[in-house]
Amino acid sequence: MTVSALTRPGERDRLIVKLSQIDWTLCGAITVVAVAGGAMLYSVAGRAWSPWAAEHLIRFGGWFVLMIALACVDLRVWFAIAYPVYAVALVLLLAVAAHGHSSLGAQRWLNLGPIHQFQPSEVMKIGLVLALARFYHSVSAKSARLSWWLLVPAMLIGAPVALVMKQPDLGTALLIAAIGATMMILAGLSWRIIAGGALLLGVAAPLAIKFALKPYQLTRLLTFLNPAADRSGAGYHIMQSEIALGSGGLLGKGFGLGSQSQLNFLPEKQTDFMFASLAEEFGFVGAMAILLLYAAMIFMCLRIASIAHSHFGRLSAAGVTATLAFCVLMNAAMVTGLAPVVGVPMPLLSWGGTVMMSMMIGFGLVLAVRVHRYSEITSGKGSVL
Amino acid sequence: MNPQIYFNEVNERQGAFHRRAFLMAGVTGLGMMALSGRLAYLQMVEAPRYRNLSEHNQFDFRLQPPPRGLILDRNGVVLASNRPDFRLYVSRDEHTDVEELLDRLQKLVPLDDDHRRRLMDDINEAPRRAQVTVMEDLTWEEFSRINVRAPELPGVTADMGDIRVYPFSAAFAHVIGYVGKVARTDVSKEGPNADPILLNPGFRIGKAGLEKTYDLAMRGKPGARKVEVDVKGRVVSEEGGGDIPSTPGQELRLTLDADVQNRALEVFGEESGAAVMMDCRTGDLLCLFASPSFDANRFVKGLTGPEYRALAQYERKPLFNKALTATYPPGSTFKTMVALTALQHGIPASTVHVCNKAWFWGGRTWHCDEAHGALDMKGAIARSCDIYFYQLALQIGGPDPIAYTARQFGLQQIFDIGVPGQKPGLIPDTAYKRRAFPKDPVWHPGETPSMGIGQGYVNVNAMQLCVMCARLANGQRALQPRLVHAVGGVLQPSGAVVPDLPFDRQHIDFIREAMAAVVTSGTAAGAANLGLGPVMMAGKTGTAQARGYNGGIGAHGATGAWALRDHSWFIAFAPYDDPRYAMSVLVEHGGFGAQAAAPRAREIMRVALLKDPQVRARIEQPLPSAPEAPAAPPVTAPDAAPPSAPASNAAGTAT
Repeated sequence: MTVSALTRPGERDRLIVKLSQIDWTLCGAITVVAVAGGAMLYSVAGRAWSPWAAEHLIRFGGWFVLMIALACVDLRVWFAIAYPVYAVALVLLLAVAAHGHSSLGAQRWLNLGPIHQFQPSEVMKIGLVLALARFYHSVSAKSARLSWWLLVPAMLIGAPVALVMKQPDLGTALLIAAIGATMMILAGLSWRIIAGGALLLGVAAPLAIKFALKPYQLTRLLTFLNPAADRSGAGYHIMQSEIALGSGGLLGKGFGLGSQSQLNFLPEKQTDFMFASLAEEFGFVGAMAILLLYAAMIFMCLRIASIAHSHFGRLSAAGVTATLAFCVLMNAAMVTGLAPVVGVPMPLLSWGGTVMMSMMIGFGLVLAVRVHRYSEITSGKGSVL
Repeated sequence: MNPQIYFNEVNERQGAFHRRAFLMAGVTGLGMMALSGRLAYLQMVEAPRYRNLSEHNQFDFRLQPPPRGLILDRNGVVLASNRPDFRLYVSRDEHTDVEELLDRLQKLVPLDDDHRRRLMDDINEAPRRAQVTVMEDLTWEEFSRINVRAPELPGVTADMGDIRVYPFSAAFAHVIGYVGKVARTDVSKEGPNADPILLNPGFRIGKAGLEKTYDLAMRGKPGARKVEVDVKGRVVSEEGGGDIPSTPGQELRLTLDADVQNRALEVFGEESGAAVMMDCRTGDLLCLFASPSFDANRFVKGLTGPEYRALAQYERKPLFNKALTATYPPGSTFKTMVALTALQHGIPASTVHVCNKAWFWGGRTWHCDEAHGALDMKGAIARSCDIYFYQLALQIGGPDPIAYTARQFGLQQIFDIGVPGQKPGLIPDTAYKRRAFPKDPVWHPGETPSMGIGQGYVNVNAMQLCVMCARLANGQRALQPRLVHAVGGVLQPSGAVVPDLPFDRQHIDFIREAMAAVVTSGTAAGAANLGLGPVMMAGKTGTAQARGYNGGIGAHGATGAWALRDHSWFIAFAPYDDPRYAMSVLVEHGGFGAQAAAPRAREIMRVALLKDPQVRARIEQPLPSAPEAPAAPPVTAPDAAPPSAPASNAAGTAT
């Protein structure tokens, strides 16, 4: 197919053309990581497909097809549903706050018919990315830099952060806040506000630690600062995770031979500490391979964001990239003992339905941005605010 | 709208995005590099340390209690050994609901409410993950029922261990003692009792007797079993490699003879008392028995409150080692010491005193059991005349010479035989009077006659009387008793390597002749007849007052309430002409010495003599027509003479 053929009007709306425009390298990287996750879930279950591995792979297969389908959805459609998706996510979060299903002392899940333990905060990740992208698409550079209009994105971010914080799920709340802040910065927020915000954070953080954190959150933080202090209590997770990683060595203990995860020394091995299990069984080489795949995925997504013609496409792809990057960095930092234990799963690698959903929809959006990178989006108030 | 502005606007937004996206890529890259560095540090630099920690997680060394050393008798008969035992343990962690766990266990094994309540306390007091014993001695059915359900019973372990067992239970309970559960007070911060094996729930330590004295020698060194465990401490698999074998405890070989000791148990029946037998050539103890006894195996499991009360409150005191821990007046057995003292002080054996059943001296009447008439010293010992010995003691002149003799023969002494709790008793003298009675520090002449018949302040235990008898029988050496022959194959010093007694040989020989007369024609005639042909026993009866009679001989002997009756003593050695075994028998509140103690001494002595090949050869000599005889069992073997007449025949003359 030549360049000239693609410039023909309507040519890019053909399905076969759209499929050809999908970034199959990115899809390959996604698949490799997800399959690696399936293999690890098989291993930590004691070489068994149940309860996690089979479900993980089947779920991934379904979402992969859906991701390709979403990649073919016109960016204008994504643009049109941006606010509604955000609104739905917000309503779901409110529903959780009202009468959600609580587990392990936190109220994060909704039971939606057959889909048990549905986490609306995951939907919100997509909703927020779309809503912010749509908002900034219609806002001038000047307004995005410094104006009263910035109260809108601040509220768009603040509302879900507050609701998720209330569940309480500090990790996800911080993640949503970080995604929102990143998108505001990418949209051109004034450096003065960024500096001011950083300063405010520096002042507010100690106060928040003192007054706003729940005792267990404070314990986690203190434990992070000195994990050896309480080896069987709160420091246990960090210690055991470091032992899993360290004992893996250069080449790992071998597939299915990770004693830390097999014997349950590693907590939450199928979700938050999946990466530690992988690093135990496949060593530094395996862990670096996965980390490099994530890095490659992040740079591919950023590249897609930067070649998009529409501001909506740019920002939404960048928002998804930020989500991916934060998840990977926070999770990896957590299991290696560089950050406090906050419940952030490793994207694609960890077991978990809603996390997989939000990540795959996100990738669908990124792929759609690449497929429709030349689309002009003119709806809304244009670009003169 | 100015297209220029529009494009500028677009360019500005796009430019800002591109610059900042580039920054974001940079920040992400830095983050990734930091993570890579951290991974490299953990997985390459620190890998050996973490591998070690991981193995500590994965593998656990479970201490294995060593098998406790056996206790054997002189012929190798096992007196204490170990048997396999199925046990049930529970350990709790932070998630354990103890009530629910016990509910589930109750469906599988019998647990009564009382037991359950005690268990709740134990579990809640024990540190996390420490095993607490729920039950021991599970049946195979219970054991397998628990093991099948193990996955539904987190924190529950059923496994097999060793437990102490005493095959003869009661016969050796006082000497060997018993092992018991480790009490919190048994564990010390340092020294041998700081060993972590003491915290093993199945572990037992010596609580009484030889088990206590030789606890460390018999304990051995614990080994360890390497097991793979999961995070809850449950054993996932047992790896053969890496186990550290345990060192078994040392074996204890005693000088006791199980047959003799068991015979003592039999002949005592329900009676209370003690029997001690010594080899009077070596000092080895063949019998050290106290009656009534108890089942030491019950103590290994742990007594319940009612069980303990039943033992502790019984009038005849089964928990008391009456051979060592209880002292009694020796009664007339002490006359041997008085007579020997008299001989040493130049009072001839031909000295005659007349007994009219009552003797008036010092303002009061002194009694005897019958009117013996004129007696010399030999006759006075044989017929145990009290009036003769009142006067002999006065002739000696005071308590000190008698006390010297008595102490030379082992009275008021504690012997290092390895059994704790010995009481020295008392041999009074003028120094004792000064020390113990500050208000009346003078020895009154009126106190001497009582000492002459082994009453008054005189108090001895059964083993001391046995040692006394053995030294008389040996005639030369101040034998020391020995109970432990060897510890872990190392021989213990013999009781025969001792200095000689500071007494004239012919004086001791005279006492022995008099003791032979006790059996042939004296107070124990008949009762102490061994019925072994030429092998004869020599002895001395004793009937010790357990209280003051307040006048009259009417209460003497085995009449009235049990606790008020006289103590019955008999000391003996045999064969008379070539002494090998010496013994003392005490029957608490048994009445006359010849009535209760002498027949029992006879029965126990017969077993020892018939086991001795040289003695047997002598017994069998008169029957050359039956060379096959040794094959017959000892008790039915050559009974040349019929068993002696019942003890009651001699009762009238015994003292």
